[in-house]
Amino acid sequence: MNYAAKSKPLQKSRWDLARVVYTVAFFMFLYVPIIVLCVLSFSNSSVIGFPIHSFTTNWYRVALASGVLVDALVNSVRVGVASAFVGTALALMVVLGLRNFPRVSTVLLPLMILPIVMPAVVTGVIMLIFFGLTGVRFGLFPTTFVVHVTWVLPFAFLALYPRLEGLDRSLEEAAMDLGARPLMVFRRIVLPLIRPAVISTLLFTFTLSFDEFVRTFFVIGSQRTVPVHLWILITEEVAPFLPAVGVIVMAVTLTTAALGFASSLIGLERVPRLSHIKE
Amino acid sequence: MRRGAALLLMAPALVWLFVFTVVPVTMLTVISFWSSTAYGIRPVWTLDNYRTIVSNYVYIETFGRTLRIAAVTTVLTLLAAYPMALVLSRPRRAGKTAILFLVFLPFWTSYVVRSFLWLPMLGRNGLLNMLLLKAGIVAQPIDWFIYNEGAVYVGLVYAYMLFMFLPIYQSLDKQDHKLEEAAADLGATPIQAFRKVVFPLSLPGVFSGCTMVFLFACGAYVTPQILGGASTMMAGNVIGSQFQIANNWALGASLSVALMMAVVVCFALSAWRLGLLQLFAGARQ
Repeated sequence: MNYAAKSKPLQKSRWDLARVVYTVAFFMFLYVPIIVLCVLSFSNSSVIGFPIHSFTTNWYRVALASGVLVDALVNSVRVGVASAFVGTALALMVVLGLRNFPRVSTVLLPLMILPIVMPAVVTGVIMLIFFGLTGVRFGLFPTTFVVHVTWVLPFAFLALYPRLEGLDRSLEEAAMDLGARPLMVFRRIVLPLIRPAVISTLLFTFTLSFDEFVRTFFVIGSQRTVPVHLWILITEEVAPFLPAVGVIVMAVTLTTAALGFASSLIGLERVPRLSHIKE
Repeated sequence: MRRGAALLLMAPALVWLFVFTVVPVTMLTVISFWSSTAYGIRPVWTLDNYRTIVSNYVYIETFGRTLRIAAVTTVLTLLAAYPMALVLSRPRRAGKTAILFLVFLPFWTSYVVRSFLWLPMLGRNGLLNMLLLKAGIVAQPIDWFIYNEGAVYVGLVYAYMLFMFLPIYQSLDKQDHKLEEAAADLGATPIQAFRKVVFPLSLPGVFSGCTMVFLFACGAYVTPQILGGASTMMAGNVIGSQFQIANNWALGASLSVALMMAVVVCFALSAWRLGLLQLFAGARQ
């Protein structure tokens, strides 16, 4: 009819073209650096970069042979597992307790969120001061562990809160009417219902802990987690096997995160989500 | 009775957070008013640390630069992420879950790795220089791709993209697409429908994403250290060096208080405008 209608097919194809170009650019931005790192990890050169003359798997052998990376991996997994369990458990208790209150208190929420809002460096500094003045020895446990639990707790809370909000309480009430004690109700009714959410939260908090660097850096003393090891390699020794280490670390985190993603998809299907969060 | 039990259940986490955030923040604030000597901090009350910050041009400049870099990063991230969220939120797009997965994937890698990734891209021996040399566009590798503010922007946008993408995608995805159809039926062009319907409804997501990215960028430490130069150090780096190199805890503490105040004020304004939980829509994954 009018001009706009006539020019529509042309405009549409132009829009489609723009969309394709943008999408390709977007994913190139995300993925080219990762591909480059993977390729460089196989480059047979003591300088990180191009041109590549020949390929080798030697850097992987060097990276793993020194034992420092393996130690760092073990440290990261230990702290990650411990802080994921403690952080998720603490958050779960808050979420379960919160269900007895009609609305989230205005004091509670800011306190729960505070560790996310604090700039990473400031958190590192306050924990350095805290442990320094109280005379706690810097290392993996307790300092790094404490910092990681504090860091993952709010995320676990934010992940679990909407899942439990939508949970139908009539089953629990029925169980209680039949004489089940609270612990029994939790074990037999609540936990099976929220298990997928809890598992995905555990994996999510594990990856948060595994990746944490800045806060850790201030309190870990002479120990190394994987990000700390990487940081030292990058800033102090620019080692030729750095890309290989990067690829190994990526592989570890990606595997865990993919597991978390898969379990959260399953969780979404199984756990009824009745309502969006309200304040 | 039940509420008592519930409070007991919540107590461990609340005590934990109180001891390991509120108490340390209080200690930090106290120390920022102490004096620093060559042998460490002394509990002698003084305003000197704050006087140093206000009177020393380096610190003022660093804070100004930090806020500027954070603001520019926020805008750049928004421009990069919004169209992707829009494209992916349209219904009946084939392979949507797979593409979403591809958007998520890079953000599951370590943050340190994500910042380091741009070194072999922009560096002297990097991909960009190799391509330019191969194509014969330049005869010598270009050095100004890296160790400047531009490289820091690239690194920060790359590091924080997901925090912008996620809340925007969520707010676009839950929109009723009939609204758009209705707008089209009433004669709106796609651009008009976007401007008058889709975009205004996605504003909470935009707001949430911008707040998160701005906050994270304000506290950036790794990216400016790896990709930036001496003239692009941000507040995080200056604070870090007070503890790691200069060993001036009192000054470091007062710089931390200043950064914390700036960030918390920004955050409180956003939270007041939008509500705390809404603001963290993207952090829940």
